[in-house]
Amino acid sequence: MIGQFERREKPIDPVEKPRDTGGPEKPDTDTSRDKLLKRMRKVDPKQSERYRQRTGE
Amino acid sequence: MARLFGLETEYGIIREDTETSDPVIESMELVRCHHRPFRADWDYGGEDPKQDARGFRAKILQQEEEELEFEEKDRHRPFSFHEMKSDLMLGNGARFYNDHTHPEYSTPECATLVSLIAHDRAGERILLDCAKKRNQLLGAADAVQLYKNNTDFHGHSYGCHDNYLLPRHVPFGDLATHLIPFLVTRQIFAGAGKVGIEKGNDYRQEGYQLSQRADFMEVEMSIDTMHERPILNTRDEPHANREHYRRLHLIIGDANMSEFATALKVGTTALMLQLIERGLSPKSAALATPVESVQALSRDVSLRNPLRLSDGRSIAPIDHQRLYLDAAKSAFSGGDTETRWILENWETTLDVLGNDPMQLVDRLDWVAKKWLLETFIDAEGTDWQDSRLPGLDLEYHNIDPERGLFLGLELEGAIHRLVTDEAIALAMDTPPMDTRAGVRGMIVSKFLKDIHKIQWEKITFQGGIIKPVYSLDQLFEPQAVQKEMERIRKCQSVDELIGV
Repeated sequence: MIGQFERREKPIDPVEKPRDTGGPEKPDTDTSRDKLLKRMRKVDPKQSERYRQRTGE
Repeated sequence: MARLFGLETEYGIIREDTETSDPVIESMELVRCHHRPFRADWDYGGEDPKQDARGFRAKILQQEEEELEFEEKDRHRPFSFHEMKSDLMLGNGARFYNDHTHPEYSTPECATLVSLIAHDRAGERILLDCAKKRNQLLGAADAVQLYKNNTDFHGHSYGCHDNYLLPRHVPFGDLATHLIPFLVTRQIFAGAGKVGIEKGNDYRQEGYQLSQRADFMEVEMSIDTMHERPILNTRDEPHANREHYRRLHLIIGDANMSEFATALKVGTTALMLQLIERGLSPKSAALATPVESVQALSRDVSLRNPLRLSDGRSIAPIDHQRLYLDAAKSAFSGGDTETRWILENWETTLDVLGNDPMQLVDRLDWVAKKWLLETFIDAEGTDWQDSRLPGLDLEYHNIDPERGLFLGLELEGAIHRLVTDEAIALAMDTPPMDTRAGVRGMIVSKFLKDIHKIQWEKITFQGGIIKPVYSLDQLFEPQAVQKEMERIRKCQSVDELIGV
């Protein structure tokens, strides 16, 4: 299974055939979702308003 | 010829501990926090952004007016142009400098996707180390924040350019004919996702789109990179022997956080170039209106709205990519392991996109970001008009693992990895040993104090009026690279290196 919340000890190398061939799956465990939501709620609501850059290439 | 590619990424930079900060100074200070001491030794002699691949030299670039304006603003500053650019050539073969007020990391030239991904991510960590050091100096842990993205949500975009070495004999007209339509639909897996739409300096929070850069694509082809940006950039700056090589410099791509998305973006493009080189690219894939299509497709997350082909027919975006995939499968299915990886993952990705794109949440940036935003919307009982969403979009690209939303997903093991953290750590100090970057990195590490000026294809050493020069402009064959590295390992002096 690809994309579960289990930690991969040996990341897949693109020159190797992927070992987890069961098809991608959405992250859906409650703990991980809560951690991510906590991270998102910490973001300053005005973050993008304050963010100004000069034009680059 | 053997593949050779690299990525240049301009990062967004802000100070959070002060209301006003100077982006020129911030970018310079960040680069100078690298442990390699700064010296103004970059050789701009090899750069000519006005040389056009269509066979002429541009009289003026659209960006010059704005650059002159900035130059006027920057005139009072007590440092030279070279000091402002703060160029560093690192021991891992990469270039790290201040480009247009953005800290830019250009990976060394890489011959494999594994190597490219490791070096692209090494760039993130080198910049993060610099930010930590800068924050220590400022006495505020979160003062400087860095973003690997392409927009400020106020109409200012900055780039992530993918570069490929090609033989000069491939006609640029062929590249234009075949690459432009391919690049239009490449975003279905290479897009980094964006909340809202930008036009000029106007930002409207309307829905969600596939790509960060699509709003900024205004013409099919142009030499410009900051105004009237093109789907296909025509800058002809090979950084190699001009008679034999050209460098394809693509500016349409988004900065990807996902290793998989980067690998598929660069891998499929590399195969496309091989198809064009062999005259095997699909003949009936040209789009009627590429610029309109690149923006319309970006705003169609269903991926179902048909695109109009130049022969009058219509085609679904995923089927359009399948034209290229099928041609590549016919030509390269017996190829090396990496080629087979590209073909297999290109096909699987298109299949899954056709059924349920959200199943690619662990691989594609636009899907992962959409999943995060939808999760937030559900949990907060809000909707896509919530004014916090552009800020969350931005934080997806924060390269601080304590804050970044993509890196949060990665920490939870929810993201498909292609390289190990150990490989990334190694790439922070070690060049790819199978390309000329290995030779350059070795020379930088061994003879830094003797270097007068440096650029991608040439190193000039100290000494006299006519200074000794070491050229890398034709050093591309892997065996020649290995042989040269063996020789340099034994060299005790620049004279020996140059062969005096």
